[in-house]
Amino acid sequence: MADSQTQAVMRGLIKIWTDFSSELDTVPLIDKLLRGKFRIEDYRQLLVNHRQQVIEGSRWIARAASSVTGEYAEQRALFLKHAVAEHRDYKMLEANYVSVGGKLEDITHAEKNIGTEALHAFMYQRASDPNPFDLLGAMFIIEGLGQKKAGGWGSLIKKQLSLEDGQVSFLLYHSANDEDHMRQFETTLASGILGIAGMDRKIVKTAKIVGRLYRLQLEEMGSV
Amino acid sequence: MNDVYINGLGAFLPGVPVTNDDMEDCLGLVFGKPSKYRSLSLKQNRIKARHYALDKQGNPLHSSSGMAAAAIHAALKNSETALQNIDYLATSATLGDGLVPGLASHVHAALGVEEIEIANFQSVCASALMAIKSAYMQLKAGEHNCAAVSGSEFASRYFRPGNYECVEAYAKTREIPFQADFLRFTLSDGAGAAVLETKPNSRQISLKIHWIDIRSHAHRFEACMVGGVAKGDEGWRYWGGFGDPLAAAKAGALILIQDFDLMKRMLPVWVSHYLDLIDKGRIVIDEIDYVCSHYSSHGLREEIIVLLTQAGAMIDERKWFTNLYTKGNTGAASIFIMLEELYREGNLKKGDKILCHVPESGRCLNGFMLLEVA
Repeated sequence: MADSQTQAVMRGLIKIWTDFSSELDTVPLIDKLLRGKFRIEDYRQLLVNHRQQVIEGSRWIARAASSVTGEYAEQRALFLKHAVAEHRDYKMLEANYVSVGGKLEDITHAEKNIGTEALHAFMYQRASDPNPFDLLGAMFIIEGLGQKKAGGWGSLIKKQLSLEDGQVSFLLYHSANDEDHMRQFETTLASGILGIAGMDRKIVKTAKIVGRLYRLQLEEMGSV
Repeated sequence: MNDVYINGLGAFLPGVPVTNDDMEDCLGLVFGKPSKYRSLSLKQNRIKARHYALDKQGNPLHSSSGMAAAAIHAALKNSETALQNIDYLATSATLGDGLVPGLASHVHAALGVEEIEIANFQSVCASALMAIKSAYMQLKAGEHNCAAVSGSEFASRYFRPGNYECVEAYAKTREIPFQADFLRFTLSDGAGAAVLETKPNSRQISLKIHWIDIRSHAHRFEACMVGGVAKGDEGWRYWGGFGDPLAAAKAGALILIQDFDLMKRMLPVWVSHYLDLIDKGRIVIDEIDYVCSHYSSHGLREEIIVLLTQAGAMIDERKWFTNLYTKGNTGAASIFIMLEELYREGNLKKGDKILCHVPESGRCLNGFMLLEVA
């Protein structure tokens, strides 16, 4: 059983997540998907805009890992593990894009949209701070997206556009093994990092900022 | 400000309990054949028995207002006060008997009490908490001293075959969709009521109302459980806009429909409301002795239980009290019918805290109420 401070952070994160999650459903592109009106070009646009986020994702995690000081070596391992896992994802995303009629050079040369710019500027800034464990809040949001949202979006896209699993594998693959990740996350949270003054509040606030900037990224599809 | 107590609870469940096998004897066979989704619906909602205010030919035996009045009389009988002391009446229901005027007027008439203030609340299940909250605030503020609150539903009359057989899209396939049929095997009839006063009972326990917290999330969700509107590709068409009610019926605008995908998306928002009340100190998990939820613990998926546990917010399932499985899901009446049985069973002791929870998928509404046995 987790201690009460960990429990309070978990409550804060879950509340931020649910707000974020229901707000996301009102973003024009997602609303369109939920209404059953998605077009193939919408899917291509989603992939193009998402690729930058995925590539940058492994970079900020690696930066965060390098900002962790020696006394927190255990926790650093969690960041590193994530960086490795995320690193391969963009290949799958590119293959999905090509399988629905996109050109590889278009996706590899695409510019970040203005929401992605804002999100990553923030992430890098935070990742450069010493012991940036507040980024656990960011991971909670971004992991939550993969585990709770992406699979549903993938299934809807597959159905609406009559695609094969292999053409939406990036979205579908992310929805696996939810509970393990959650337990691992809780273990890290309870591993002593909350002893850093103000870290509990900072984790929840960072989750809120990242949720808002992530939504901005989806709202600003194609806006470069 | 006055303290406010629930001093009497009453329930009215029409006729005899109807078992799962006998449901279609009362509801009838749509397009002359047994429902395709009956067993699937019952497996999901786990209801074993319910009551209908219909005879076997489908004729109404009661009215929603009549059942509400009967439940209020039962609540009064269980209280230390009397009918003539009621000075405020709040009613709640998903649908009243007629379109105009509100159900509260009819309940007042059926009660046979002198002139009083009334208020009518119409939504879905959570309208019950709206009605209780209005009575609670009226008494707390000193505007009145004794209030009757009811929740009543007569859903089965809208589940008879004729309601569906006139819908053109259904007539073509001679089938009705799961999202409509599920509700036929989930909702049933009955009424419940509470009598509220500004002082506790002197000879028996009372339930002191600590607070009622209701939140609507309609700004972020489409309507999920709808009636009186046809949802088409061009948007919504309300039943009154078809030029003729028969055309509305043919278009399916008079059918009650539940969107399950949308409902699943609402669950985290309800959980979030609950966590927020813990953070605000309104709910203290270790102090809760009973949970009366209109949402069953079976509906909570494993991942939510894991989350609630991590957040220090899971309440032991042995503390959950429900009679949804034996009395049916009676919408706005359910929370009263649950509390009535919990009170009548006689296990409540002074100081016990009861957390009531009434979510409403209609357009994402959620309410909690904290009671303490006094």
